[in-house]
Amino acid sequence: MRSLEKYAWVGLVSARSQLAYASEVLSRIIFLLVILYIFLRVWHVAYAETGCTSLAGLTLSQMLWYLMVAESIMLSGPRVTPVVDEEVRTGALAVQLIRPVSYPLYRLSVALGDRLVRFLLSLTAGIVIVLVLVGPIPLSAGGLLCFALSLPLAFVLDFLGYFLIGLAAFWLEDTTGLMLIYSRITMVLGGMLIPLDLFPESIRPALKALPFANIVYGPARLFVHPDSETLVRLLFTQAAAVAGFSILLWAVFMLALRRVHANGG
Amino acid sequence: MLSKSIKYMQLAAAYVRLNLLAQLEYRGAFISQVVSMILNDVIWVIFWCLFFNRFPVLRGWTMSDFLTLWCLSASGFGLSAAVFGNSLQLPVLIARGQLDVWMLYPRALLPHLLLGRMSATAIGDILFGYVVYIAVVHPDLPHFLLFAALSLCVAMVFVGFNIATGSLSFYLGNAEGLAEQLRFALITFSTYPSTLFEGAIKVVLYTLIPAGFISYLPVESLRSLSWQDAALSLAGALAVLAVGVAMFYHGMSRYESGNLVEMRG
Amino acid sequence: MNAVELDRLYKTFLLKKGNGFRRTQQEVVAVDSISLSVEQGQSVAFIGPNGAGKSTTIKMLTGILHPTGGCAQVLGLVPWAERGQLAGKIGVVFGQRSQLWYHLPPDDTFDLLARIYDLDKQMYAKRKAMLVDRFDLGQFIKTPVRKLSLGQRMRAEVAASLLHQPKVIFLDEPTIGLDVVARHELRDLLREWNREDGLTIFLTSHDAGDIESVSKRVIIINHGSVVFDDKVSTLRRRYLGAKVLSLKFHEPPKTFSMPGVTVVKANGYALKLEVDTNLVEIEQVIQHLLRSGPVADITIEDPPLEEVIAHIYGQRKLDSEEQSCQEGKRQDGSREANLATTSRLISNCASLSDSQAKEVRSP
Repeated sequence: MRSLEKYAWVGLVSARSQLAYASEVLSRIIFLLVILYIFLRVWHVAYAETGCTSLAGLTLSQMLWYLMVAESIMLSGPRVTPVVDEEVRTGALAVQLIRPVSYPLYRLSVALGDRLVRFLLSLTAGIVIVLVLVGPIPLSAGGLLCFALSLPLAFVLDFLGYFLIGLAAFWLEDTTGLMLIYSRITMVLGGMLIPLDLFPESIRPALKALPFANIVYGPARLFVHPDSETLVRLLFTQAAAVAGFSILLWAVFMLALRRVHANGG
Repeated sequence: MLSKSIKYMQLAAAYVRLNLLAQLEYRGAFISQVVSMILNDVIWVIFWCLFFNRFPVLRGWTMSDFLTLWCLSASGFGLSAAVFGNSLQLPVLIARGQLDVWMLYPRALLPHLLLGRMSATAIGDILFGYVVYIAVVHPDLPHFLLFAALSLCVAMVFVGFNIATGSLSFYLGNAEGLAEQLRFALITFSTYPSTLFEGAIKVVLYTLIPAGFISYLPVESLRSLSWQDAALSLAGALAVLAVGVAMFYHGMSRYESGNLVEMRG
Repeated sequence: MNAVELDRLYKTFLLKKGNGFRRTQQEVVAVDSISLSVEQGQSVAFIGPNGAGKSTTIKMLTGILHPTGGCAQVLGLVPWAERGQLAGKIGVVFGQRSQLWYHLPPDDTFDLLARIYDLDKQMYAKRKAMLVDRFDLGQFIKTPVRKLSLGQRMRAEVAASLLHQPKVIFLDEPTIGLDVVARHELRDLLREWNREDGLTIFLTSHDAGDIESVSKRVIIINHGSVVFDDKVSTLRRRYLGAKVLSLKFHEPPKTFSMPGVTVVKANGYALKLEVDTNLVEIEQVIQHLLRSGPVADITIEDPPLEEVIAHIYGQRKLDSEEQSCQEGKRQDGSREANLATTSRLISNCASLSDSQAKEVRSP
């Protein structure tokens, strides 16, 4: 229990240091405004040209709210890979290992604290923008709770992905390329641009089972269509994915540590 | 005049060669970044092609027009960041007082300074743009030549806009975040078909965020081999460049007076 | 024509303080009417504590900053008005900011510089060969800079800045971080270029050794104005009218006291004294000392240059102005005499310790 406190503290400090950059984060509003406006135009035309009032069970307003939430999740993506990459290359990782904390858990706490702040800032800005662009949609306290519960594991899962790519620095000369592809795939297959329900029926189940959907599509969908049964199912697949990724991470980390001990990082 | 511009072309060639050599010192990282950028572009384009097949949103544009748009903006952006890579670093260079070094050479400050760096991923963008345009759009010779010329115009728009946004640091202190957001805004607007936008926003797209000179005029020019649109593209590019250069040199007078020093407290 | 000429060069900055609505602006004088001139072929150390205005002055001399008032010329050009033209005639080396490409061999940077300075191909080849030879770059000219030692890198750095045959070179902390050997190599090279090629050197450094071995003349600025401008050798005497006397005796000496003399250290047979030559002639002190016991060895030293510089830096603004005026008046007359006595004394003492040494050996 004490050690849990320790990591919570690390996360808190990280969150507070993010707040110091609030003004910089706020300048992201410009980008958020641009991308949401473009999405609005794209979907406005799509709804108009197809003559539908509802696509994938979403009205145009709901669609934009969905996209806003998905975009906020993506935009607050953790900057784990470059940090881990650098610590691997400079040998700082070996120094981190001396500390009485687990390195992955330490990085996780930092990433979560950092992400929470940036996500909330993006979300706040996004809500204002969407309210101006398409107006409110009905939301309930229970629904928001549903959404909030779906986030923690999503963020942990996303962290694991970026952390694993950072560890690849032990073997690869460069990890920025891999990170770029990973985030691109998360956007496309995670349903940030189009809700997964609009993908061809044949690949839909496969997409929904992938970890990417658990990060973006799952929570964003719950925001506009809260539903406890979906939440439970989502939490279950998230937990399974986190467990799987954690085992993978543990194995890779052990392999990496052997390299650190062999050549001093 | 002519011999002077030839001298500068030679200088640019020397810089490109050296920048490339420096990148190749880490061959693995370089290749990985180039390949990932190509993959990234490919994923994005395939995705939107699927989308536009599903929803008829293009309003008169064909899929090949959309591809042309992507190839143009990718290769234009790539050229700007590969040859004038420091245009992306301008806010940092200004805010940290690192222009000094460049002022010690007997060359025009701005063009010389911009040549100092190359972005590796930009090479991927150039390759993607040209290869996909040739392989998928199958242009005849006049179209290809016009494409090549227009990609230079697009590069000029990007360089000019980067200089303008970077020069904000002369006036606002470190405006790195703001400049980045504005750059993202331009890139985002210029990768969606401009047929989506109408009304007042069009004015913005030819002034504040000059995406119209990337995503509309050049593509229209290629659609119908219209010299008039090509001329307008060139004029727009020159105008954006002129604004950037004017802002830079106006800001420079503040830099040379040394009054950028600012203390907080 | 002088290589560098400053005439009442003056520079203020606007310092913004606070933020939000309570913002105030304050004018700060960085360079306060500096006038000086440096002849071609001179080697000058331009020093001062951090924040004294030395880098602001250099930035004005290289055309990076515009002054608020006064004027300056470098090689007959006004730096900030004719920066481009001037840049072709001066070289600049920053100890902490490399112009060599980190990932590439120096050779590649040289080729690029030839393009930047628009050098004639044959001239460039000749010049490069000469520089490679004199700076001994042959072994590593094709090795990426990141793999070079700092000493090798700095040699290449200075060579690179001489590629376009500048008449004046500005060096900012060129030996920072170098080990003793590399430091000496670089100093020797700079001295050689100054003597043999008539290169005007304008050096800033915090290292007293650099100043002493590279430059003959030293200009110290503090609080924006020149507080000292003379030969390096004059620097010690003028600012600290003190000498350090170290003696060794054959038997423990009697206790010693004399006005104007402070005992720095005394243990057994050895004695270290600081003599204020303004109060007492050093000759008297020695005579007095010889009477207090059989002397085995005696040396007279100037205090270390670093201490002298630290002393000057430590002076407050008003003090330093008054003092330098007064000292200038008072000492100008007595300086020559002082110099003469000192050198005579040194030779006296040398023979003295010799003869005493013989005495020791003979019995």
